[in-house]
Amino acid sequence: MIKRYSRLYKVLISQFFKVIMQSKVDFLMGLLGFFLTQILGIVFLYLIFDKIELLNGWSFEQLIFIYGFAQIPRGIDHLLTDNIWLVAWRWVISGDIDRYMLRPMNILFQIISEKLQPDALGEILIGCILVAKSISAGVSHITITNVILFFLSIIAGTIIYTSIKLFFASLAFWVKISGPFVQFAYQMADFAKYPTEIYTKSIGFIITWVIPFAFVAYLPASYFLGVENSLGIGAYIIGVEWIIAIILGIISYNMFQKGLTVYESAGN
Amino acid sequence: MITVKNVSKEFVSNKKYPGFKGAIKGLFSNEKVSKVAVDNISFHINKGEIVGYIGSNGAGKSTTIKMMTGILTPTNGECLVNGVNPSKQRKINAQNIGVVFGQRTQLWWDLPLSESFTILKEIYNISDQAYQESMTFLNKILDLYSFFDRPVRTLSLGQRMRADLGAALLHNPKVLYLDEPTIGLDLVVKDNIRKAIKEINEKYQTTVILTTHDIEDIEELCSRIIVIDNGKKIYDGSLEKLKDTYGTKRKVSMEIKQLNAFEGIELSETLGVTPDLCSTRLDVEKNTLEVTFDKNKLQVPQVINAVMSIADVQDIQIQETELAEIVKAIYQHNVAK
Repeated sequence: MIKRYSRLYKVLISQFFKVIMQSKVDFLMGLLGFFLTQILGIVFLYLIFDKIELLNGWSFEQLIFIYGFAQIPRGIDHLLTDNIWLVAWRWVISGDIDRYMLRPMNILFQIISEKLQPDALGEILIGCILVAKSISAGVSHITITNVILFFLSIIAGTIIYTSIKLFFASLAFWVKISGPFVQFAYQMADFAKYPTEIYTKSIGFIITWVIPFAFVAYLPASYFLGVENSLGIGAYIIGVEWIIAIILGIISYNMFQKGLTVYESAGN
Repeated sequence: MITVKNVSKEFVSNKKYPGFKGAIKGLFSNEKVSKVAVDNISFHINKGEIVGYIGSNGAGKSTTIKMMTGILTPTNGECLVNGVNPSKQRKINAQNIGVVFGQRTQLWWDLPLSESFTILKEIYNISDQAYQESMTFLNKILDLYSFFDRPVRTLSLGQRMRADLGAALLHNPKVLYLDEPTIGLDLVVKDNIRKAIKEINEKYQTTVILTTHDIEDIEELCSRIIVIDNGKKIYDGSLEKLKDTYGTKRKVSMEIKQLNAFEGIELSETLGVTPDLCSTRLDVEKNTLEVTFDKNKLQVPQVINAVMSIADVQDIQIQETELAEIVKAIYQHNVAK
């Protein structure tokens, strides 16, 4: 099963590369645009961190660590599952889901394996640079446990990201276009780039327990930084992150499956 | 092979009001409008049958097909295709069926056609040997290799339709659904597509369900037709029986020299029937008299005799009502039942 699907993934994703490389000009322009976007992104970051004041006793390096740590799962999600946006904006109302339903493969798998979003590599790159830079400044200790927990946390964070996106995109099966909801959820994600304590209690509660972006970045990051947060301090925070990732994953996947049963296609 | 039992599909949407004010009103109202697209339909199709599924636009044809393919879940009732419920066991069903939607391609638009077939080979888990066999056969009947290396978007409509049909048949499905497979095609391509469908049906005993607005598709392919109107099944049976039941009118045109002899004469009176059973039309330019009559009440010789008793007839043509006219009559809901 896993073997078959990984083979299919390879076949489908290589189609994507064949398409984008069909026109060399388009491909080179895309590459150029990609680098310009990334340079702009880095300049923008520099400007932000230049202006940032020290918050509640957080050091500059610690903030950079949280920010970079938040970018990595966001980037991975963006890289792998970007097509979910199209479900929210277009595919449900246009009836494009039809063709996936006619093939003997998992539908969500087909949707996400038709595209990679190269722009996301920049997000991941920036995230890694910031994390590396802050660690070299001594905000965290590199131990084997920490490295393992770091990767575990990033995987769980990616699952949380994708689940939230999928949940809101699935609403499209009922409301036809759910793009604005997904966009709203994504904007909530920006809150996760900074310590939750700097927000009011209600926002803190929402991004911890309702749309739990705090678990993607701030809460696990503060564990690595050795700072106590609202949940205390300890490796169990990564465990809680995983529990939340699994619960959210199940909820949003079921939401998507339920949505397929009310899918109305489009008239000819 | 296919059993459809009391299947209904209802689409529910929020009530919409006209204009900008209406749009705002619609935001706050909770009124729902429901539209029954398919209303309690049942039928059974045997292996190897080619069934024409016809009805006017919006009659519920595509909705029924989409329920049988697993795209839509029926509101009520149940479909079984080869023993599988398509909406509950979608993946198993997908392996058994092939689908062509005439107005929407299933192929990878920007890639050469050959790539689409390579991907489909993987998707349907087709062995190399089975793939070779399928391709040889499909190329023979659809001539796919003549445009195999071209991107799908550059294909003509006729080529694209052949490609789509080939793609739907690659995994040798037990059931083939064709939703308007000949729409927009020229006569030669239409003919080729029909021949291909026939050959596949004969070779593999593939069950075919076909929706179309093209009467020739039905006359050439279908041994059985199902007519649907306003979501309800109104006819299910052979083509001949449909013609017998609904095609009660017969037309005889006669070429006559002294056409003016018929002015002021009611042929129905001469024949002793009411005017709605027999009507005439004079064409002065072509010197013809057209008599349309109910074939259950009058015989052709009777009509010809009556005409010949008035004037000399030089030529006679007898026409059965064409299927096109029957279907038109059904669509316009004015069928004499």
